[in-house]
Order: sequence, then structure tokens, then C-alpha cells
Amino acid sequence: MLGFLFQRVLQAAAVIVVMSVVVFIGVYAIGNPIDVMIDPAADQKLRAALIARYGLDQPLVVQYFYFAKNVLSGDLGESMVYRLPVMQLILSRFPATLELALSAMVIATVVGIPLGIWAGYRPDAMSSKVIMGLSVLGFSVPTFWVGLLLILAFAVEIGILPSGGRGTVGTLFGIPTSLATWDGIQHLILPALNLSLFKMGLLIRLTRAGMQEAMSADYVRFARAQGLGDGEVIFRHVLKNIAIPIVTVFGLEFGSTLAFAVVTETIFNWPGMGKLIIDSIITLDRPVMVAYLILVVFLFVVINLVVDLAYGQLDPRIRTRGAS
Amino acid sequence: MTGEGRLARFAAFWDDYRQSWIAVAALAVVVLTLGLAFAAPLVAPQNPYDLQALDLGDARLPPGETGSAGYVHWLGTDSAGRDLFSAILYGLRISFLIGVLAGAFALVIGATIGLVAAYYGGRIEALIMRIVDLQLSLPAILLALVLVALLGQGLGQLVAALVAAQYAYFARTTHGAASAERRKDYIEAALSTPLPAGRVLFRHLLPNALPPLIVVATVQVANAIALEATLSFLGLGLPVTTPSLGSLISNGFQYLLSGRYWISIYPGIALMIVVVAINLVGDQVRHVLNPRRSR
Amino acid sequence: MKLGYFKTGVAAAALVIGTAFATGALAQNLTIGVRAGPDSIDPHWSTLGSQAEALRHIFDTLVGVDENLQLQPALAVSWKPIDDTTWEFKLREGVKFHDGSELTAEDVKFSIERIPAVTGPMSMTIYTKRVKEAIVVDKYTLQVKTNGTAATLPNDFIRLFVVPKKIGMEARNDQFNSGAAAIGTGPFKFVSWEPKGDLVVERFDGYWGQRPAWAKVVRKEIPNDAARIAALKSGQVDLVNYVPATDYASMQKDKSVDTFIADSVYILNITPNVKETLPKKAKVDGKEIDQNPMRDLKVREAMDLAIDRKTLVRVVLEGLGKPANQLMPVTFFGASKALPEREYNLNKAKQMLAEAGYPKGFELDFACTNNRLPGDAAVCEAVAQMWSRAGLKINAQALNGTVFFPAQQKGEFSLWMSGWGTLTGEASYTYGSLVHTPDAELGLGAFNKSGYSNPEFDKLFQEGQKTLDDPKRRALFEKTTEISMNDRALIPTVILQTVWASKKDSVTFVPRVDQETLAHLITPKK
Repeated sequence: MLGFLFQRVLQAAAVIVVMSVVVFIGVYAIGNPIDVMIDPAADQKLRAALIARYGLDQPLVVQYFYFAKNVLSGDLGESMVYRLPVMQLILSRFPATLELALSAMVIATVVGIPLGIWAGYRPDAMSSKVIMGLSVLGFSVPTFWVGLLLILAFAVEIGILPSGGRGTVGTLFGIPTSLATWDGIQHLILPALNLSLFKMGLLIRLTRAGMQEAMSADYVRFARAQGLGDGEVIFRHVLKNIAIPIVTVFGLEFGSTLAFAVVTETIFNWPGMGKLIIDSIITLDRPVMVAYLILVVFLFVVINLVVDLAYGQLDPRIRTRGAS
Repeated sequence: MTGEGRLARFAAFWDDYRQSWIAVAALAVVVLTLGLAFAAPLVAPQNPYDLQALDLGDARLPPGETGSAGYVHWLGTDSAGRDLFSAILYGLRISFLIGVLAGAFALVIGATIGLVAAYYGGRIEALIMRIVDLQLSLPAILLALVLVALLGQGLGQLVAALVAAQYAYFARTTHGAASAERRKDYIEAALSTPLPAGRVLFRHLLPNALPPLIVVATVQVANAIALEATLSFLGLGLPVTTPSLGSLISNGFQYLLSGRYWISIYPGIALMIVVVAINLVGDQVRHVLNPRRSR
Repeated sequence: MKLGYFKTGVAAAALVIGTAFATGALAQNLTIGVRAGPDSIDPHWSTLGSQAEALRHIFDTLVGVDENLQLQPALAVSWKPIDDTTWEFKLREGVKFHDGSELTAEDVKFSIERIPAVTGPMSMTIYTKRVKEAIVVDKYTLQVKTNGTAATLPNDFIRLFVVPKKIGMEARNDQFNSGAAAIGTGPFKFVSWEPKGDLVVERFDGYWGQRPAWAKVVRKEIPNDAARIAALKSGQVDLVNYVPATDYASMQKDKSVDTFIADSVYILNITPNVKETLPKKAKVDGKEIDQNPMRDLKVREAMDLAIDRKTLVRVVLEGLGKPANQLMPVTFFGASKALPEREYNLNKAKQMLAEAGYPKGFELDFACTNNRLPGDAAVCEAVAQMWSRAGLKINAQALNGTVFFPAQQKGEFSLWMSGWGTLTGEASYTYGSLVHTPDAELGLGAFNKSGYSNPEFDKLFQEGQKTLDDPKRRALFEKTTEISMNDRALIPTVILQTVWASKKDSVTFVPRVDQETLAHLITPKK
């Protein structure tokens, strides 16, 4: 187990190094940030001076070397737009995104898994067909469009929920969160719902697919033949067996929710990391982009690690193989 | 396999498929919209991509108004005076093309990578799956932005960006299903015989990875279309002069609050119908192909 | 100055209003939904328009501007050139910083000298680059020595924010963002801000100018147009800026909101590349041709003639604009009143294209931004559509700013359209950058990427820059405007207009051409 973990951590480190190079080159390919940021009234001398000041006239290799050197000493750089340490900038946005992503995941899970189980358990029932139809809608319609429809319906026409922004942030068990105030919760509902729909659709389908598969498997037939009730069969045996694909996809989805809640955050003006990265892309705030992406990679590597470990717990054969 | 055998298998497949009338209706919708999309130049009253055919005087006409060309715009017009019915048909064409191309490339590339990883195991597997993880951590938006910066905006670049963003999901799914299968006794047995590797891969590992792959594929084709719309929404989609369904929705987005709902809603509904139909067809296919399905 | 006489009277009136609203504390608060906010509370960090707009609440500039960007006294009550290379500024007496200390010429000198040390990529040195030295004559008098003759120095100083000297040279963005160094002379005191979040300020009772009507102002940053409008309609904010044209029409009918409209300084200009070879060659009948058709003035005139500006305004911008015939609003210093309105004549355009040797037109790519200014992509598409009527095949490509600007800087476009705002209210700012032949030594033509070069223009322009006499300089700049516009160096299309919207009968204000939404100039409506 320890060897497995060690091996995976090494792999993860390699991934992060490779990724930092890829991201650096990718971001470099987009263009010179000075050309996007510079004031139109600036002259040629000023442009050259600014490019030199930010080291953008250096060869890419040299720039990467300096970047890597700073990262190793714990400094991810400073935002060109805000002149604030990028870590501080990103971390200050992290709670808002985490809160949004977690709420969305909770909504998706609480609604999605029971519906998926039901749809898989009674695949021919009318209610199951309706559920499946809705799940299809959940991931077909573009998020930004649903978001706007939600605003149009709940904020403008009915007028019961705010259209955007993060509400009053209170503290709950010492953690600052919107969930601590009614105003905060009101602000959270629409974006969390918007973000959860896609995952909910996906989760319903995954659960149902696994459920159906498992229900026709021999061990279930056997258990049923032994006279176990359906409820017991489902909760004792089936759920455990359908957990693998759900854990995988869900793990990955959680990472992507955290990292790419971009659209929802843009529409609902949610001050999270997704909005920060879109803003940074628009202004080519290179240090923020690079740091953010590397952080996201880090996050994914960790999530993958956790997913793989969970896999190992659920299916011991995979664990032994990983260690071999 | 003989031609007759294939026919028989197809007939059996169809027999199973038509058990669900919803699936049959969905298939009809897919065929119909595909047909309409292909025949768009014949069916549509206007070529929405021909700037000379457009008249700014017809901009933003509500549904049912007659435009300067003398025919009724049943679904209204957009901000450039495009007949929305025509634009939706042409947009369907592009969206289908994008969705299918991106989905197909992503499937082939992703499934191959996942299978190879599961089959070989060891270092190769570790390396490939780390690359896939790496891939999964790059936001589609950044990928698209980089590709657009390097290549310029266009259909090919967009498909490339979508494939780059999606293939990893196929790879992960295939790998997940195939690696669980790989350890099963019958594969071990097959591997101990001198059967060629390709045969084991395609005869045993692939079919077992197929049901989850089909689920992912339907999700991803639909997803490709939705992602394209999102990229358009963020200003990274196709040129304004050749709108896909996605760019039609996002162009109309700004008119939603001001009461000109039709510019965004109708393309949105068209998109929904198509995607839902594709998914329903995919569902039924999966249901029929499922080897462990109880009869 | 006039304002001084009114000061006490206004304060008294404000007091009455204050008592009237004392029962409802809410009426003293103003919440504004703005499209963009500052990047820092350091006023010397960036030239970004939304930065200046936000920081004007906390800091004052040396020279002020009215709603039409014409100069007016602010911290300086008067200024005059003493010789060819010296300007003298007289400061207002008795101005207090938020910490109670008094403003002196030392603070102004410090502010000028601080800029090069602390400014960021959107460098504010563009406003101080002509300053050689600042000399404190006495407590209220400052002399500024310039490199050569700087006729428009006061125009540059409308962006010179004054900070107290005692914050020290070491103060950087984080000290300002935390509030420690955010000490100005402005109408409001800093309370809190975070990047892309809310800026909160409260009334400064010791302000030298008119007392603001609001005890507390919250500027919420809501970049998405639809979300900003929704925030107004759902009552989260009292006022929003940059209402898109698409919503303006329906808002005028809406009984629950008021709208305010004004011309902006922003104009969408088309630039034809006139270099010998185009970065991407033009095509005739699908075959590439070696020559650049747009080198011929006739072709450029034909392209100009084919643009129906009235339709652009009426249909594409839904009325939120005006046809443009030059690169600045006609009221600005150096704009030409002699230039006629641009003609729209499709037949003449076709005829001129034929005369120029392109009876069947030609094919070209046309790049433009899609997220910088309202309507940029839509105008781009519509212009391409209009050109197609004249027989040209123009492929419009609306690009994201991140793609557009670097490519433009590298000279990759054959034909492009982008917005330009004359933020200083006078001609040299715009024409010096866009039209003058590129000359790094003189610092001119930095954004002239079209290859346009006219020696006569350059000569007259440089002469204008050195002329201190206002009428003479104005005449020279009017002449250069006419030369370049007749040459179709750039083809202006439309002046954009800006719209604000507020809750019905809640506030009143005079809209500004620089599009700034300034809380101290907004008053509650009774």
C-alpha cells in the first residue's frame, strides 16, 4: 500500500512538472500580454520598456527557468493586473468556488442517485421514463442558456431570488460561508442549481446504468432467490457494485466543477476562481493563468489519487496490481 | 461473416430496438433533422451565410412577419436580418458536423488509448493514464483559446479543440471498464493462448468496454454541441457570418431580457430536440447491445 | 471659482435633504452596478478607464474635466505657460486629505514623481512622460518643466491623481487595497474593496467641493450585461451603466426604470492596410493577386461610400449611436467642422471600384473585436454585408481581444475594425498614435499598423504639438484631421452612445462623454 502510494506521488510530481512546461508554452503561444494590456496612447519606447521590465523579451527557456526557480522557492509570481501575489489572489477566491461546487454536488447527489436507482430498478415505469427524459435535458442544454432562463424566471419574472453575486457571508463552525445567512443561501440557490443540472443528469444515467447491470447479475438473482427483499439487495450488494464507475466519474466531475465553474460564475457574477481565470484570459494576466492551471492540475492529480485509492478499496485486485 | 448473417443480426437488432416507441420516435426525429440539415439549401427560403441575401432592414422581425423578400419569417429573424428558420437548418448542419466529427475523433482516439493502456498494463499504462489525467486537467476553454491563437477561428480548429477536450473522457472510461475486465479469468486464459493481441483487444476487451463507452459517447456528442455553444458564448466560436446553433443561441442571448425571445429560444429548442433525440437513440442502442440484458 | 460661492448654500440644502431622509437610512445609500471596476486602489497603478472612474471617488486630479471632457479647475484653480517649456499651476487653498492634513504643492510634486516608480503594465507614465522636473515654488504654486514644448500638458494632467507625500515612496498596491495608504482629497473615503468585488466608500465631510448626497456608496462589479440589467430589475442595485442597445428599446417602455443617454468618446474605426503587400493576399475570382487593392485611394473611397452609416445606427445599434465622419466627436479640440457627413452611394461605389480595375470586386478577410465595445461584432458583420452589396467578398471575423490585439500589433491583418476613445478630449492623443508615421524617436505612430504615411500630415502635426497658442494649434490639428480623413487613412463608422438605467424616479445626473458614473455627481430625485 505504501509503495503504491509512493509510486503514485512520484508520478503526480512528474505530471505537475510536465504540465507546468505545457501550460507555460501554451500560455506563451497566446500572445504578448503587454499588447493586450498596454494603453493605446503608449508609444514604442514605453512598449519596449514594459516588455523588458516583465522579462518578456527573454527567450522562453530563460523565462521558464526564472519561473521554475521562483516556484521552487514557493513564489508563484505576482499578478500583472493587480500586483498581488497570485496565490493570495487565487486562494481568496477558493472558498466561494468550493462552496458553489460543493452545493452543486450535494444537490446533484441527493437528487440524482435516488432517481437513478429508481429508474434502474423500475426501468419500464412511466416515472422512470420521465426521469430519464429530464436527465437528458439536464446535460443537453448549454449551462449558460439554462442560467439565463433561471435568472429570467426566478429573479426577473417571479422576483423571489437575487440575480447574481454572492450574498452576505457569515461564519458556520468557524468557516466563512454563504450558508450561514439566509441572504447568502438565497444567492447560492440559482448558481448551485445551474451548476448541478449537468452533473445530476450524468449521475442519474450512471446510477441507472450500473443499477440495471447489477440487477441482472447472478449474485443479485441469487440473493433474491434466497428470499432477500429488494431493498436489502440494493443497499447490501448492488450499491457497492455500482459504486466504481460513479466514484470515478464523480471524482473527475468534482475536479472539473471546481476548476471550470467558469460559465456559471460568469453569468451569476459569482466571485470564484472560474471567473478569475476568465478575467485573466481576457487580460492575458499570464502569471495568474499559469499559476491557476498548475493549481488545477495539482488538484486533479490529488483527486485522481483519491479516486484510485477508493477504487482500490472497492476492488482489491486493482490495488495489488498498482503495487506490482 | 456472410452478408446474410449481418442482415440477420441487424434484423434482430431492429426487432429489439423497436420495442420502445419513444426510441423509434427519437430515431425518426434524428433522421428527419439530419435530412433537413442536409437538404437545407433546398428547404430553407434563404441562404443565411450569403451576406448578399440578407437585408439589415429585416433585422429582429418577430415570428410570423413578412420580410422584404416577400416570404413569412415563421420563426422571426436575428439581428443581421437572417431568417431564423433557415439559420436553424443551416446551423443544425454545422452543429451535427461538429458534434459527430468531434465525438467520432474523440471516441476513436480515446478508446484506442484506453484499451492500449489496459492491455499492456505496467509502465505503459501508468504513462498513458498520467497523460490522460494531464489532459483532463486542461480547461477546454484554455485549450480552445490557445488553438484559436495558433490557428485562427474556424470549424477545424473548433473540432480540434473539442476533441482535445473530450478524448480523455473516453480514454478514462474505456480504461476503467477494460482494466476491470482484463483481470477476469477468461481474458487471462485468452492471453495464455497464442491468440494475436489485436484479437483479444477487439474481441474481448472492446466489447466489454462498449456499454459504458456508448453512454459516454451519447453524452459527449451532445456535450460537443453544447460546448461549442459555450465557446461561442465566450467569444471563441465560429465567425459571426456562419452561425452554428450554438452561436445563434449565444447571439440571441443578449436579446432575451429585452423581449426578443425568439432569437435565442428557437435555436435553443431546436438544439434541445436534437440532443434529446440523439441521447434517446443512444440509450436504446445501449439497451439492446447490453450482453447481460435479461430477456 | 463659481463653486466656492455655492458651497455653503449647497451644504445647507444637503443638510435639509439629509434630515428629510434621516428616517430612512437606505435613501442615503447608493448601490451602483458597474460593468468594470478598478484593478487596484493605487491611483497611479493603471490608466484603465474603469480604474480612474472608481478612484475619482476617493482621489482628486490636478486638473478637472466637465461632462464634455473640457478642462475645468480641480485641485489646481488655474494654470498658464510661463515660457516654451514651463507650466505653472496654482493650487486650491485649504483642501484637506481624508486624514485631516492639508494639500500642498509638495504632495503634487510627490505624486508626479511617484508614478514611474509604481505604475503597472497599463503605464501611467504616458501622462507624465513630458515632465522633466516639478518645482515647488511655494505652498500653493507648482512649476512643471517639460521636455520640449508640451502644449497639451494640462490635458494629460486630468489623469494626475494626487496622493499625500507622507504615504512614502514605498507604498504599493496592497497598502492601498487595505486602506492604509488610500488617503485622498476626494468626496468619499475608502472603506473596502477586493479585486472584482464591491468597492465601498463613505462620505468625506471635509470635502472641498459640493457635499455628496450619499452617506455610503457601493459599486458592485457585474461585467455580464444581462446579469447587470437583471440586478437592476430585481432591485439589487439602484443604477447600472452600459445598458446594451438591445435592452435600451424595451427599457424606454418599461415603467419601472428611467434611462439616461449620452454620446461617448468611442468610435468604431475601420483601418485598411495600405502596405505594398498584404499579410494575407486579396483574391479576385478566387485567385490570389499580388497587388494590394486598398493602396488605391479610389478603392478606399468606394469602400467608404458603400457603408450605410444611418442603417448601422438605426438597425445594428438600435439607435444607440451616431454616424461618424472623423475619429473624435466634433466638439473636441482639433476636430474639423468642415468635414462633410459621409455619403452613402452604392452605385458610385461600384463605379469607382470598376474604375480602379476591380469591376468584379475582390475578396479579403476583415478582423474585428467581439467583446471590447457594445455592438463591435454586430457592426463588423453588418459592414461586411454592406460591402457585399458593392460586390466585395469580405469575410468578417470577430475575434476575442486576447487574439485580436497581439495579432494587430504583429501586423497580421489586411483590414480591421476596432474602437478608439479620445480620452483626453483633444486631437494629438488620437492622431499622433493612429495616423502619424511610426517614429519611435518621437514617440508617434505607435498604433499605426496600416503603413499609412503622409509627409504633409506629419509636418503639420509636429508643428501643432509645439504650438502653445490655442487657436493656432487648433487650426493646425483641424488641418491634419482633414488631410487624414480625406485620405481615408482610417474610415470612421459610428460614434457609440452610452446608456444608464436607474429605478424609476430614484436618481438624477448629467451623463458624461467619458462614460464615468460618479456617485458625487448623482443626486436623489424627489
